[in-house]
Amino acid sequence: MSDELLNLKDVKKYFGLRGAPWRKAQSVRAVDGVNLVVRKGETVGLVGESGSGKSTLARVATRLLDPTQGRVEIGGTDVTRLRGRRLRPIRRQIQMVFQDPQASLNPRQSVGTILSTPYRAQGIRPTRAQLVELLEQVGLAEQHLERYPHEFSGGQRQRIGIARALAMKPGLLVCDEPVSALDVSVQAQVLNLLADLRDELGLSYVLVAHDLAVVRQVADRIAVMYLGTIVEEGPAAQVYEAPAHPYTKALLSAVPVPEPGVSRDRIVLTGDVPTPINPPSGCPFRTRCYKAEDVCATERPVLEPVQGSTEHRAACYFPEPPTSERKQ
Amino acid sequence: MAEPVLEVHDLHVTFSTEGGLVPAVDGIDFAVAPGETLAIVGESGSGKSVSSAAVMGLLPSNADVTGEVLLDGRELIGLPNDELRKIRGNDIAMVFQDALSALNPYYSVGWQVAEAYRLHHDVSKKKAHQRAIEMLDKVGIPDAARRADGYPHEFSGGMRQRVVIAMALVNDPRVLIADEPTTALDVTVQAQIMQLLEDVQAEFGTAMVLISHDLGVVAEVADDVLVMYAGRAAERGTVRDLFYRAAHPYSLGLLGAMPRVDVPPKLRLTTIPGSPPTPGSITTGCAFQPRCAYTDRVGERCITERPELTPRPGEGDHEAACHLGRRPSDV
Amino acid sequence: MPDLVWFIVRRLFAALIVMLALSLAVYLVFYAIPADPAHLACGKPCTPDRLEQARHFMQLDQSTLQQYLNFLKGIVAGRTFGDGAAAVHCNAPCFGYSFPLARPVTTLIMDRLPITASIALGAAVLWLLLGVSLGVIAALNRGRILDRLAVGVALLGVSTPSFLLGLLAILVFGFWLNMVPVNGYVPLTESPVDWAWHLITPWIVLAILQAASYIRLTRSQMLEELNLDYITTARAKGAGELRVVVTHGLRGVLVPVITLFGLDLGGLLGGAILTEKVFSMQGLGDLLISAVGQLDVAVVVGVTLFSAFLIILANLVVDVVHGVLDPRVSHG
Repeated sequence: MSDELLNLKDVKKYFGLRGAPWRKAQSVRAVDGVNLVVRKGETVGLVGESGSGKSTLARVATRLLDPTQGRVEIGGTDVTRLRGRRLRPIRRQIQMVFQDPQASLNPRQSVGTILSTPYRAQGIRPTRAQLVELLEQVGLAEQHLERYPHEFSGGQRQRIGIARALAMKPGLLVCDEPVSALDVSVQAQVLNLLADLRDELGLSYVLVAHDLAVVRQVADRIAVMYLGTIVEEGPAAQVYEAPAHPYTKALLSAVPVPEPGVSRDRIVLTGDVPTPINPPSGCPFRTRCYKAEDVCATERPVLEPVQGSTEHRAACYFPEPPTSERKQ
Repeated sequence: MAEPVLEVHDLHVTFSTEGGLVPAVDGIDFAVAPGETLAIVGESGSGKSVSSAAVMGLLPSNADVTGEVLLDGRELIGLPNDELRKIRGNDIAMVFQDALSALNPYYSVGWQVAEAYRLHHDVSKKKAHQRAIEMLDKVGIPDAARRADGYPHEFSGGMRQRVVIAMALVNDPRVLIADEPTTALDVTVQAQIMQLLEDVQAEFGTAMVLISHDLGVVAEVADDVLVMYAGRAAERGTVRDLFYRAAHPYSLGLLGAMPRVDVPPKLRLTTIPGSPPTPGSITTGCAFQPRCAYTDRVGERCITERPELTPRPGEGDHEAACHLGRRPSDV
Repeated sequence: MPDLVWFIVRRLFAALIVMLALSLAVYLVFYAIPADPAHLACGKPCTPDRLEQARHFMQLDQSTLQQYLNFLKGIVAGRTFGDGAAAVHCNAPCFGYSFPLARPVTTLIMDRLPITASIALGAAVLWLLLGVSLGVIAALNRGRILDRLAVGVALLGVSTPSFLLGLLAILVFGFWLNMVPVNGYVPLTESPVDWAWHLITPWIVLAILQAASYIRLTRSQMLEELNLDYITTARAKGAGELRVVVTHGLRGVLVPVITLFGLDLGGLLGGAILTEKVFSMQGLGDLLISAVGQLDVAVVVGVTLFSAFLIILANLVVDVVHGVLDPRVSHG
């Protein structure tokens, strides 16, 4: 299919981990078998708590990390094993925006130099007009070209990071926690900017974030990750209004809502996310799940359609029924 | 409101730096009563964390603190360090944002909780250790007697924050200052920790000062709210005043800028243009004026005259520092 | 913890390989030098005949590789040079035999080690105390006069050559003030007081030189440490400044300091060459220098290997101590 910008097939990423020199190296299953398709024009929100593997998945998708197993297809081409020079054309199609603009911008380079880096990586000399256009796209102006990162506020720096990602006119932007380092008032500006760019340039996004409210604001489709796997996936409205996986349900119920006095049915999960070094057998969530039964420990459940929708899928033996049935 | 246990009046904190004097907190007042929670809300550079450090007397030596900090009516500012030391951790305790860095990696968590106890009680190490285990158990650390010998890095983020809370509560303090206690935690763990804080507060009648940028958390646990902007109070009132009757354009902007998980997304979030000012850049007039959408309706005054907290007629103790007489949403 | 034992075994095995390679390298380097140890042994007048005899006796007439193998074999089985009444025995473990000194290398090293160890250990205690305490004082008084003073001392220590400071000390305290003996060594077993009295000057000189890097390291580590959140936590708990610094701050400072200390001490135990020369102490450094002058390959190889072993050992000890000091390593 030509409108598939990104197709991840059973992607796994394991990391080696060393402790004291006299201890055995262990392997961390950061991403443990993920299938994900991103189509043209859509924004996929990848949510999960720390250790869920969402950031690792983003880095594998942009080929910043090599997958341990599985296939990464970008624009219909298998790029899993591509490296160096042969990866360059791929970099034009998919770009990454990082969490901490402070850390991802070289403090010794002017904005102009930072923005021309992606061009030079492709062997192109950008014109000043091109750079100015980039800046204007993200709400900055020509006068900012000669300045250095420290002269900008956090929000402006993130705009520069986005401008740099836009330089090669990619179809897909993978944003890893793009607003989590920003103040609330600034965060909203950047979220609006992302929405504007999507409309103007027809961009697609993979938005990785721990903040479920942020993701709801921008994403069309949601994938909820837990311990390296996707446990629920579907259209944003369906996932948020009628979560099928107990984890998604608990996660959503835990988010505080700015309405004092309104009591919510909160599912307070016990314990913490287990370590990805030695994940539980069967369903990874069963150790904290309020619905867990013996069967959950047997085999890992696969994503299956729930609530009569083909697009809304959950990996659970006992998915929540649709909202209409719950009310009865 | 009951008799406040902690009162802060006209608190000013000025840092002397190489670049000159930087006022970080520029005259704020607040009070908190036993069993109550006051939330101090603000963005980076608003002075909210500096205020709490000033209350604890924990600011570096280049900070000049003036005003009044009264604990049960006793002035803390200017108290000799030895006297202050007896109050810290005993009458006023603190919970920090990042439990991993707040705990000493070289000592077992039991030792660290016991140390907090021994610093204020003349007891044997063994007794203090027992007390530590008791406290760790109370904050929900399973198998506390065994886990007490563990080191901070062996605990998960949520469990570490429980340790920090146990350490803060071990002396049964009258005031607990929680500086972004859940910001570093995952949302499911955040829910557990906020629940724990509410439980212990109810049990011990602790007065809590919650410093947070997360309006959701504030809405759930606070009784009163102080909104800070550029080292000053922008608005002060009950939690309902802020969320249902916000009177300052900045508070209103914050609420509008916050994406919500519980309702379908708005087409666009309302935004506040620009960014929060860095401390020290405060001029005459209203610090929020350059970003304010309502300044046109007031005019010159916003630039020339600094607005003071003024009571909102008919709304009890609800106060806002804005020249716009009406509520922004009514304009 | 069997893990730790296994780790130590592995490291010692690695050390063995390193030392094998090192000994081979030393052999090869020495045989590349166009000079003949047998020449020195055969004395004057040296006829070609006697030279040949000496060569044969010293087993220098064999190929370099064969000589090296003989050396290895000697470690396990001991060696005998020559035969009959003139035969020289070197019992296992034989790390070579010094013909100029007419003693097995092992004996030589064991004879000299107490002197070097006395110098190194005594100085080490002094410089550790001096370096860490001055470093802490400097950090606590950052930017003030005490800090500048400590940093100045450190700078002076780093930039002063040891022989200069040593000679100066001998001149001032030994000759002018006549306070301390200027050379000589009295074994600890003979008289502990005289032992210390004879060593006090080299200790102080060495300590001042070495303390410099410890002052700087401690100071910068302490400054970093004092900015950490858990220091604020300690203050917020109501801990006094002394407790904050010593109990909470120093622990983190000690980890890198101990690392440096282990390596420095390991290196110094292999021979404090300049200090020994200046104070006329017949330690390992002195032994090595004389051996190089006399082309006494056996001693050079022996002392080099011994020093290398000490440094490898020091590294191992540092790693283990690091694990003990930092629970994040041992309880990983």
